This record gives sequence, C-alpha cells and structure tokens, in this order.
Amino acid sequence: MPATETAISATDILEQRSRRDARHERLFRWLLKGCALLVLASLLGAAGATLWGGRDAFSAFGWHFLVSSEWDPGNEVYGALVPVYGTVVTSFIALLIAVPISFGIAVYLSEVAPTWLRTPIASAIELLAGIPSIIYGMWGLFVFAPFFADHIKPWLTSNLGNKPDDGKLSWVAEHVPFVGKLFGSDYPFGASILVAGIVLAIMVIPFISSVMREVFQTVPTRLKESAYALGSSTWEVSWDIVLPYTRSAVIGGIFLGLGRALGETMAVTFVLGNAMHLSASLLDPGASIASTIANQFSEAVGLQKSALMALAFLLFVVTFIVLLIARLMLRRLASKEGR
Amino acid sequence: MSALYLRRRITNAVAMSLSMLATLVGLAFLAWILWETLRQGIGALDLKLFTKVTAYGEDGGLLNSMVGSLIINFIGIGLATPIGVLAGTWLAEYANRTRLGESIRFLNDILLSAPSIVMGLFVYTIIVLPSTTLTHGSTTFSGFAGGVALALIALPVIVRTTDEMLRLVPSTLREAALSLGVPQWKLTLQILIRAARSGIITGVLLALARISGETAPLLFTAFGNNYMAFNPMDKMSSLPQIIYQYANDPGDAMHALAWAGAFVVTMFVLLLSLASRLILSRNKVSHD
Amino acid sequence: MTDSALATNPAPVAAAAAVAPKLIVRDLNFYYGGFQALKSISMDIPEKQVTAIIGPSGCGKSTLLRIFNRIYAIYPKQEAKGSIELDGENVLDPGYSLNRLRSKVGMVFQKPVPFPMTIFENVAYGIRHHEKLSKADMEGRVEQAMRSAALWDEVKDKLKQNALGLSGGQQQRLCIARAIALRPEVLLLDEPTSALDPIATSRIEQLVEELKSQFTIVIVTHNMQQAARVSDLTAFMYLGELIEFDQTEKIFTKPGKKQTEDYITGRFG
Repeated sequence: MPATETAISATDILEQRSRRDARHERLFRWLLKGCALLVLASLLGAAGATLWGGRDAFSAFGWHFLVSSEWDPGNEVYGALVPVYGTVVTSFIALLIAVPISFGIAVYLSEVAPTWLRTPIASAIELLAGIPSIIYGMWGLFVFAPFFADHIKPWLTSNLGNKPDDGKLSWVAEHVPFVGKLFGSDYPFGASILVAGIVLAIMVIPFISSVMREVFQTVPTRLKESAYALGSSTWEVSWDIVLPYTRSAVIGGIFLGLGRALGETMAVTFVLGNAMHLSASLLDPGASIASTIANQFSEAVGLQKSALMALAFLLFVVTFIVLLIARLMLRRLASKEGR
Repeated sequence: MSALYLRRRITNAVAMSLSMLATLVGLAFLAWILWETLRQGIGALDLKLFTKVTAYGEDGGLLNSMVGSLIINFIGIGLATPIGVLAGTWLAEYANRTRLGESIRFLNDILLSAPSIVMGLFVYTIIVLPSTTLTHGSTTFSGFAGGVALALIALPVIVRTTDEMLRLVPSTLREAALSLGVPQWKLTLQILIRAARSGIITGVLLALARISGETAPLLFTAFGNNYMAFNPMDKMSSLPQIIYQYANDPGDAMHALAWAGAFVVTMFVLLLSLASRLILSRNKVSHD
Repeated sequence: MTDSALATNPAPVAAAAAVAPKLIVRDLNFYYGGFQALKSISMDIPEKQVTAIIGPSGCGKSTLLRIFNRIYAIYPKQEAKGSIELDGENVLDPGYSLNRLRSKVGMVFQKPVPFPMTIFENVAYGIRHHEKLSKADMEGRVEQAMRSAALWDEVKDKLKQNALGLSGGQQQRLCIARAIALRPEVLLLDEPTSALDPIATSRIEQLVEELKSQFTIVIVTHNMQQAARVSDLTAFMYLGELIEFDQTEKIFTKPGKKQTEDYITGRFG
C-alpha cells in the first residue's frame, strides 16, 4: 500500500511539473516572439513616422513635391527633385565605378590570386567595409576633393567640358552631345556630384566585392574543372561559367551596394557641396536626400521639417524596394544550392 | 587556329591583369584612407583631448564627446543585445521554416542596410517629440534617444548573427537535452545559447563596431553638448557628432581636433572587429 | 485492451515469453511527411535484457528507437500511429507527459554530445530538472552514475573541467552516465559506438553487459558482431518492416527467414 501511494504522488508531482513547464514554455515563446516582432515594428515604425511627419508637405504640394526643383524656405515652397536627382545620380556613378572594380576583385580573389594571398587581401578589403562612413566623408572633404580640384577637374573641364579655362572648346565638347554639359563647370571647388559618387563607390566596393566573392565560391568545383579540362582560360571560366551560374546573386549584391549608396549620409554630405539647385554638370555641387536632411533638419521648423520628413519617407521606401530586390535575387542562388 | 588561340590568350592576360589592377585600386584606397587618418590623427593627438571638454573650442579637447559616445553606445548595445538575442533565438529555434519566421528573417536582412538617418528621424518622432511635449520642453534631445537610435541599428546585426550561430549548433545537442526531459526553454537558454556563445558575442562586438561610427542617427536624437553630460536625459555629445561639427567648421585647429576624433573612432572600430575575428576563430577550434 | 490487441495482431515474439515484457509495441506505423518509414511493427521487449535491432541503413531501426521516447516529436511532419505500452500505459498517448516518459526512458546517441559545461554539471543538469537535491545528495548521485558508467576513476579529479576536453569514448560514457543518473527504467542506445575506436567500443560493450541488471536496454547497431556479443534478443528490420525477432543465438545460427540469413551472412546490405 505505501508503495502505491508514493507512486501516485510521484506521478502527481510529475504532472504538476509538466503543467508548470508548459506554462513557462508558453511565456518564453511569447517573450521571444515579442522581441522578433520588434524587428517588424521598427521597419513599420520608421516608414510610419516619416510618412506621418511628412503629411503636411505631401498634402500641401501633392505630386508636385516629386517633380519640383524649387527648395525655398523663405517662401515655404519645397520640391524634392534636386535631392532626388542628386541621390540617384551619385548612386549611379558609384555603381558605374564600383561594379567593375568589385567584379575584378572577386575574380582575382576566387580564381587568380595565389591561395596564401587570398585571405589577407579579402580581410583587408573587409576592413574597408568596417571603417565608419564619416571617415570616408572626412577623407573626401580634406584629402580627395582638394586633390580632385587640383589634378583631375581641370583636365576634365578642358578636355571634356564646355567651359574650359582657356576659352577653347575641346573636340569632345564640340562633337559629342551632352558630354560637354556633364563636365562643364565654373565652380572652383572639388565638392561635387562626381566626387560624391567616387567616394560612395569606394565605400560600396567592399560590400559588392565580398558578396560577389562569396557567391563565386558557391560555384561547384566540378563545373569549373570540366571547363578547365576543355581548355578554357581563367577568364573564360569566370565569364562563361561562374558569372552565368551566379547571375542573380551578383545582381543581388549590386543592388545591396545600391541600397547602401542611396541611404548613405555622412560619406556624401561632406563632399556634395550642398547646393539646392539643379545643374547638368557632374562637377557642380548638388544635394542628396540624406545630406539635405542632415544639413537642414536641426534648424527646420513647420513645413520645412515636414518636407524633410517627406524626403526621408521617399528615401526609406526607395531603399526598401532596392534592398527587397537585392535579397530576393540573393535568395535565388541560395535556393539553387538547396540551402 | 593559332590566331584564335593567340586572341584567347591575350584576352585572358588582359582580363587577369585588369582583375589584379582592380584589387590594387581597392587596396590603394584603403591604404590612402587609413594613412591619412593615422597621419592627421596622430599629428593632432594631445593630452588635452582626454582632459578637456569641447566648450573650449580650439583650446579644448574631446572628453565630453568620448564619454558621451561611451554612454550612448552602452545604452544602444544594452538595449539591442537582449532583444536581438531573444529575437534571433526565436527565428532559429521556434520559427525556423514558418512563414512569419521567414518573413521576419527576410525583413531583418533589409533592416540591416536601411538608411540610418531615417532611423534617427524615427526615434526623433517617437522619443524626442513626445518627451519635449510631456516635459514642456525641459527634456528634448537626449543621450537616451541617441542610444535608442543606435539600438535600432545594432538590432538587426545581433538578430542575424544569433540566428545563424544557433542554426549551426548541431541538432544532436537539442535531442540529447530533450531526451533528459529538459523543456525547450531551458534547453535554449542554458545549453544552446551557451553553445553558440562566442558566435553571439562576435555579433554583439560587430554591432558595437557598427554603431560606434554612426553619425547620422545621432544628429537629431542625442544632438550634441559642449559640456560634460552624464545624465542620459540630457543632450549629449558623441565623437561622430563632434567630428561632423568640427569638420564643417572653417578653422584649421578644429579640423585637427576632428582628425584626432576620427583617429580614435577608427582605432576603436578596427580593434573591435579584430577582437571579434579572434573570438570567432577560437570558437571554430573549440567546437570541432 | 492488451488482450484484444494481441488477438488482432499476432505478435512475433514467442522468444520473449520467458521474461515479462517491459515495452509492448503494437501495430506501429511511422510517417515522415508522406513517406511511411515503419510498417506495422509489433514486438515485446523483455525487462532487464538487452535487445538489439539490426538491419541495413535506412531500414527504420533508428526511427523505431526514436519513437520509444517520442524524441521524433520535436520535428514537424513526423507522425507515429499505433501503441507502445510501458508498464501497461501507452506512451504515444499525448496525455502521457514528456517529463514522465523521459525520466523513465533514457537515450544515448550515435555521436557523443556533451553539453557545453563542466563534467560534473553534465550529469547533474538532467537530475536538477527532475529533482531538488541537496549538494551532498547531488554529489552522491553524480558519483554513483559515473561509477555505473565506468567513468568515475578517470574523471574524479577533473569534475570542474569542461566536458569537451574528454576523449570520444569518455564523452560517450559521460552521456551514458547522464542518462542513467535520472534512474530510468529503459535505456535506448542509438549506435552508441559508431563514432568510437575499438578499445572505447569494447569498454562500452562491457558496460552494456553490466547495466542490464538494472535497465531494460534497447540498442540499435549496424555492427552484427556487436549485436551478437551484447544482446539477448535480436530484431532484424528491413525496409521499415520487422522481419524477424528472436533469441540472438537463434538469429545468428538458425535464422527463420531467408532475408535474415542473407543479411547476417553478408549477402546484402
């Protein structure tokens, strides 16, 4: 009899503990889920807060906000075209420079370089990704922009631009449409859309090249080996085998870099010159969405503050879409690998 | 035939040289940027950097900015670490392969490269504006708000590393603990997180490195302060913010101070990423 | 209940009749999503004896073992139908709590999996979840478990060291100590020596021999010699079906089925 009694009470204790465990388990799950939902909340919150903050500007200007190049705090008229143009063009220049260089680095590190050299170079390039963007900005402002103004800009304006120092138009400016306008400038300083694009390019190279290098390494060795066995050269393997195999992920990596470039503040604010007017020349100063917000938000009131919030909303939505595309493209390769 | 071979060989040689050139260009810019930061930064190093506050301007130091940076980073990482680790744990252990889990993992990856200035405006809206209204203007910008903004930037980094590191823990460890009757929450907290500990610490260090250089989200949250501030409810200076302010100043002496600040921030960030690498490589050894 | 089950499912377990069955498996089917991995398994596993399950890879022997303590249930889309009675209660019944089941049925896995903590804590960890013991009682309990697992003499001076520093064989005996520290009634061993060298393997086999006086042991192995050496009964499985289940001696000398004979003579698998 006593034996059965203790057995029953032991089972009771077990059942009690099981119920307690289940309760703790539920609590724990809710806590974890709550934290995960905060990730979602911060995305939605950022979009919501900027949309809410920009509602006055959106309702005051409607779609004119997007197409007007006027930014006049004195008359309370705001249009997003100048910063939007600056953001798009600087990012485009950045990609134009960064994509081929990143591809070169990725090919070199995955196919060409001697094995002992690969890790140190890759780590060095990743180091570049770790440097805070404000350092890029300072380097751009104090080192690169003056260097550009002294050594590169004069050559560009006199050989390609339509406003040369000596008054004689170059052959290119006379015969090729648009190019003269792109490189003509009376502005004496280095800070310009082109310099901002170059600094951005240096900033996104490590991102794009490390994604490319990673995805190049996912190409099955047998695929490359069978191409080499047919007598293909390293370049032919990279261009005809590796690149097509990884195409979607490579595009994903490029979009990832684009997302970074679009939203970057500090690297461009220093070197863009912050001029709120539209100019065709890449050597003239301009503004980007992020630089406009960084420069004006602290002192802005009323409608100007709202217009800046509206700009932030635009930026957030555009980068979200770009990054969404990037992740979807990157995911495609992952699913191909069966991960 | 031989002409074709020749052309292919030349194409290959040109392409390979270009790829090497691209690598050299990348490394050259790295060297250039680091060199300038070291040269100008070391040139401007001075004891007063660490003893005087920014209120003295040219004759001052960066003490209040350094202290402010430490406080703001501490708040940021202190908020982001528990939330990020728990959220990452949920993704890896409870929601792996569920629809909501996959969506959050995907959105977290997007948040990883979202524009930080927008995060600053978000925190401005949810913390700076309400605190201004509630305290009738006595508390506006604050170190705390800056910390929250940085936490939002650190969060996705920590979520992602925790998630990835936990998914690397072999499932046999889970089975072994569950076969002892240990409930899943205990298994998760006491065994899995411990097994993935060094990877998670790496993630936290990387997040810290990331936020230590962030400037844009601090401009409208912590704002800046020329005097020493310890109370997180006060406006607070930080190194990136003072670098931004001084670099935009026309005076050369201010530029020197900005370079000194840049040097300190860069060294801090590089040491952190070095430390995280070391921890990760040690981790790999002990787990195999 | 048991009677009717017996009536509808003739049990292929005449051999076990001599000893009281500890686990009674009836009409057990198992599914991985749409794939049926076990087909109508019925067997009686006798108390305090060693039952070996052998068969070629993929035959379902590990799957069967993993149903006994419901460890399969942590993965979605895995489903078991049928019944497994432990002391007369169906452990597959959702009302049978996991705490109870897992304190009665311990398991040791293929690869040694020490927890990332000290040697002492590895053994104490499981006990702590089920019982509140004083420090002295806990130390006694851990020592006892380690002695039973033939590990005590090797580790008694380094209980505070990390368990990952032990050799593979020691780690596996630590896992056995961890499992028996909960004082289970049934011990499941899933290819416990497949990751070990021959010397460590023979120590574990010796240990199994010693432990059977206290526990009902079910061991899955891909090594037929091992099954012959350590077990009293042997079950041969093939493609999710239980082909033959009998005294080990009989299985290895006079198998009743052609497939069993082919397998043990090495003609396939």
